[in-house]
Amino acid sequence: MPTDIGSILIQLFSGLSRAMMLFLLSSGLSLIFGVMDILNFAHATLWLVAGYLTYTVFQFLSTTFGDNALFIVPAIIIATGAMFVLGWALERFLVRRMYQREVPEQLLLTFALILIFGDLIRLIWGVQNRRIFLPIEPVEVFDSYINPYFFVIIVAGCGVAGGLWWFLHRTRYGKIVRAAVYSRDMVSALGIRIPTIYAGVFALGVGIAAFSAGVFLPIMPIGLGLDMDLIVQCFAVVVIGGFGSILGTFVASIIVGIVYSFSIFIWPGGALAIIFLILVAVLIWRPWGLFGTEMRY
Amino acid sequence: MLSSTGGNKKMGFITGFYRWIGLSGTVAIILGLGFLLVPLLPGEFPVIVAVEILILGLFAMSFNLIYGYMGQVSFGHAAFFGLGAYTTALLFRAFQATTGEIGYLDFFLSLLIAIPVSAIGALVVGFFCVRLTGIYFALLTLAFGELLFYVVFSWYGFTGGDDGIQGLLPPPLFRNAVNYYYFTLAVVTVAVALLWRITQSPFGYSLRMLRENQQRAAFLGINVRMCMLMNFMIAGTFAGIAGALWGPFQRSVSPVLLGWMESGIAVFMTLIGGAGFFTGPMVGSVIYTALNAYVTRFTIYWPLTIGIIILVLVLFVPGGVLSVVDARIGTYHHRKQPKADLLDVSAEGRRE
Repeated sequence: MPTDIGSILIQLFSGLSRAMMLFLLSSGLSLIFGVMDILNFAHATLWLVAGYLTYTVFQFLSTTFGDNALFIVPAIIIATGAMFVLGWALERFLVRRMYQREVPEQLLLTFALILIFGDLIRLIWGVQNRRIFLPIEPVEVFDSYINPYFFVIIVAGCGVAGGLWWFLHRTRYGKIVRAAVYSRDMVSALGIRIPTIYAGVFALGVGIAAFSAGVFLPIMPIGLGLDMDLIVQCFAVVVIGGFGSILGTFVASIIVGIVYSFSIFIWPGGALAIIFLILVAVLIWRPWGLFGTEMRY
Repeated sequence: MLSSTGGNKKMGFITGFYRWIGLSGTVAIILGLGFLLVPLLPGEFPVIVAVEILILGLFAMSFNLIYGYMGQVSFGHAAFFGLGAYTTALLFRAFQATTGEIGYLDFFLSLLIAIPVSAIGALVVGFFCVRLTGIYFALLTLAFGELLFYVVFSWYGFTGGDDGIQGLLPPPLFRNAVNYYYFTLAVVTVAVALLWRITQSPFGYSLRMLRENQQRAAFLGINVRMCMLMNFMIAGTFAGIAGALWGPFQRSVSPVLLGWMESGIAVFMTLIGGAGFFTGPMVGSVIYTALNAYVTRFTIYWPLTIGIIILVLVLFVPGGVLSVVDARIGTYHHRKQPKADLLDVSAEGRRE
């Protein structure tokens, strides 16, 4: 274990920014599972599609209007909007048919989506990794250099977390969504159009994932196969935090992100083994997660 | 159809025979004849595909012991497949280190030892998993599977890490694809016969009861957890046998064999073939593996093609291929689909 504060700070910031990405991805997954009981294995693949989409829009803007790092903002907005629409369409035409089916059949459908979208990515963008290079100078903190973009990510992640919390706890639609987590039957009995809520939640989840893909493009190259690794980590986060609990997902992402980046001091390469050990322990000790309620267990 | 022909005295021999052996029996006979005839096809390729079908089919059938019979979903079943494969591979390497080339006794020994190892692995994992049911059972099996995957993936000194283990050359007799095929066919046939015996035993019927209603099973004096644990161990052991056959067939093993994608393959094969039938997973294996092998030959967009085929199957063939055949022929012993809950609003969503 190194003692100099610089390298610990670097690990802390990279862990926190990883935590933010995991949170943005998992919160959608958690919402979708909480409301609709669908385990969306294709969530990270949609995230990957959003990343490539952001990359293309950014490249297009840069070649059309000249280089400008700020073009990443419209690129993220456009990609997020497009993925929101795609998410809505997927729910409307495919996922909706699966609510009455058993879990493995849902897995089969989302796995088919993984194959289809994965191959479409290969078809459109090829197999090489993509990333956006932003001209950012690292800043010096305690004799080591930290990319200030980490701060942007952490602020963006916390912002979305806060916004999501506000949406779920302070707005009418958010309250309907939370009510649907507890009792779908009661919500529909009150005359609320559940199919619209379902499509909206699915699209919202995909949209948040798309946003995180765009935000992370400048520090993390994306490539085919990344989605397969990420999706199981997201499941770990969602389960550790507890299904349907935004606070739980947030705390679990920070635990997983920090453990991931600090495990390099203890067992390099074994980060994910440690995370799944934690997951196994949580599932044995509290299957409903740290912040979940026992109600639905 | 059953009632209309039931009282008919002039039932033909074929109808009567079909009645007696059932759809699964018919499929078993057709598959058995097909597997015996495969080596007559030109070239080595069909034989190699057939070995893959047999191994993955046994793997999927062992998964169906948990899913179709016990009613729980395991997303980490590949852990035991991989455990079997790695046990054989590591023993292979140990024997090769001492004698240079592996002898027949060492070959059979390294395959046999995979059985107790995967059984013990399944016992340990199952001990924790059977305390949960439904989605939590599925997630805990997924978590154990991924845990094992990442341990194997990052433990370079022992398992070779993500490089896996190469150079698993079987003894001379089994290097020939056709000979290894007959060997695999013999092992898988014995394993499937054992599985059949297990599913027809009182224990097998207890499992079906656990699927329908665990509480009632407990009231009738069944030790629910013990029964689930036994079944988990049996399923893990058969997955281990399938895994043990994989290494010498592919000449290598890699951590992918333990990952969730590999577990997913067992789930897909079972669903494609029909989880409600004993031979369903094997039929699924024939469809999935053959598609994989031959679509790869004709188009570079095989994930897209297979994805669309799976999408069509899952949307329009619920219950698997065999249940469609079954509905056509008109027997009734397939597993009933859960009825739509009247209050559930998503049924309304479907009607739109």
